[in-house]
Amino acid sequence: MLNSLHWWRGILITFTALWLAKFVLPLPFMNEVLVFSIYTIGCNFLLGRVGFISFGQPAYLAVGAYATAFYLFYFGTNPYIGLLIGLVAGLVFAFIVGLLFVRLRSDYFALVNLALSVIVFYMLQKVLADITKGDNGLWFLTNIDATPVFNLTKPSEFFLFCIFVGAAVWALYKYLDDTVFGACCLATKINETKLEFIGYDNFKIRLTAFVIANTTTAFAGSLYAIYLGFVSPEMTGHSRTADPVVVTILGGVGSLWGPIVGTLAYTGLRDVASKFIGNWELIVGFILVFIMMTNSVGLYGTLENWSKSLWRRVSGQKGTA
Amino acid sequence: MLDTQDHLIVSNLNVSRGEARVLFDIQLHLAPNEIVACVGRNGAGKSTLLKSISGFLPADSGEVKSHGQVLTGLRPYEIARLGVKYVPQDKRVFSDLTVRENLELGSYASGDYNWDPVITYFPKLQILMDRKAGHLSGGERQMLMIGRAILGQPKVLLIDEPTEGLAPSIVTHLKYVFTELSKSASVLIVEQNLPLVCAISKRVYALKEGRFVAELKDDQIRTDVCEHYL
Repeated sequence: MLNSLHWWRGILITFTALWLAKFVLPLPFMNEVLVFSIYTIGCNFLLGRVGFISFGQPAYLAVGAYATAFYLFYFGTNPYIGLLIGLVAGLVFAFIVGLLFVRLRSDYFALVNLALSVIVFYMLQKVLADITKGDNGLWFLTNIDATPVFNLTKPSEFFLFCIFVGAAVWALYKYLDDTVFGACCLATKINETKLEFIGYDNFKIRLTAFVIANTTTAFAGSLYAIYLGFVSPEMTGHSRTADPVVVTILGGVGSLWGPIVGTLAYTGLRDVASKFIGNWELIVGFILVFIMMTNSVGLYGTLENWSKSLWRRVSGQKGTA
Repeated sequence: MLDTQDHLIVSNLNVSRGEARVLFDIQLHLAPNEIVACVGRNGAGKSTLLKSISGFLPADSGEVKSHGQVLTGLRPYEIARLGVKYVPQDKRVFSDLTVRENLELGSYASGDYNWDPVITYFPKLQILMDRKAGHLSGGERQMLMIGRAILGQPKVLLIDEPTEGLAPSIVTHLKYVFTELSKSASVLIVEQNLPLVCAISKRVYALKEGRFVAELKDDQIRTDVCEHYL
């Protein structure tokens, strides 16, 4: 695991490929893919590394998005400061929630997060309606200043910004995967009791992983807010709670590249299906059920197996299936 | 006789699992560099004893001390950090991690990155470093678990049925390893392999239905005597 040499190669190739994809795929689609991938990698880390399945990711997304939105709607105009505020809000929220939630495991953890998502939804829609404007949401696209280096009000520059930010996020998670902390996370998933007798506090490991993952999710929320210039409680609605989990499983749980492959497939499927049928979720649902039932390693795992098999054939090696 | 120099002192330990009392008024001590064995039938409470000392099972009453520090009530990871390491019976390592990563976990927790003793005792681990622990044999897993436990130079090792299901050649090797380990730590071993117990132990506690019924010393430590308690 501590194969630190050339660890950046995969990130460089992947994000260069995403950048090149902009020339053949629509820019809004690519922006959606990048932000959704960042949204999903936290869920992927929690599920694949720590063994936490969370249906409450939209709540963390909304915290980041609304923190940024409050700043840009009520106080300021600099999107970078908005991003920073979203990041800090996500960090604080994840830490406070994590202190309570990471004591739970498996189904209880999933359900308590789902409950959190519902609570956040109603807080944004009803309880805090005076400042969130309820279902109308906050619209602040024209409040955002053009900024130097990357002008985030321009979709093309926002895309470039997301390429760099995405690469940094992936480098962080690659680093986490390769360190002892990553091994601890996997160990707490495999056997938490045994980790304790080596001398580790499971609670601290899980809390740290939870905070990192959900701060990333909140950061994705901030990116959404700046990209769309609009937030509404709908982003935490019940129909969105399973999105990151579905994308994680679709792409390949625990794989660093699973969130990108899963997001490309999910977003692409959704965009194509919605052109042919009003209730596109129906088609997407059937396709997802089929993919998941026939494929336990996710799309990335399948692609990886195919490419290895192809490589063996090309290089003339004998290999096992 | 209890001695203030003892590495481990267990006094009047009572432990329950659910409604059922499993251990009754256990008194035990472990002198420096001593190997002490605990024998008894299945269900006598041997593993429960080790789990309770290492903090995995709370005691109903009684006290466990190591080097003057009360361990009772501490969390397992706190006890491990105090140098009392537990090697469980089931040989379940972190199967998705490599041998190297398993050792790294031990190193990081204990702050001891010197793997020379581990490799000296278990040279085979050197060539298995990049293999997933889930693909190791039972003997190799046991080596890994003991190797990981001795990182950080623990003061007390609690080892639960280390030879269960292992080939005789590995058992012979473990016998040598335990003897060597006792030069720097005290070892409390729960074991049903009586030849091994008799070969390495200075004292043997016999456990029956949750109570110590005998403490064997010197020439009492013979397989025919120990067999009475199995």
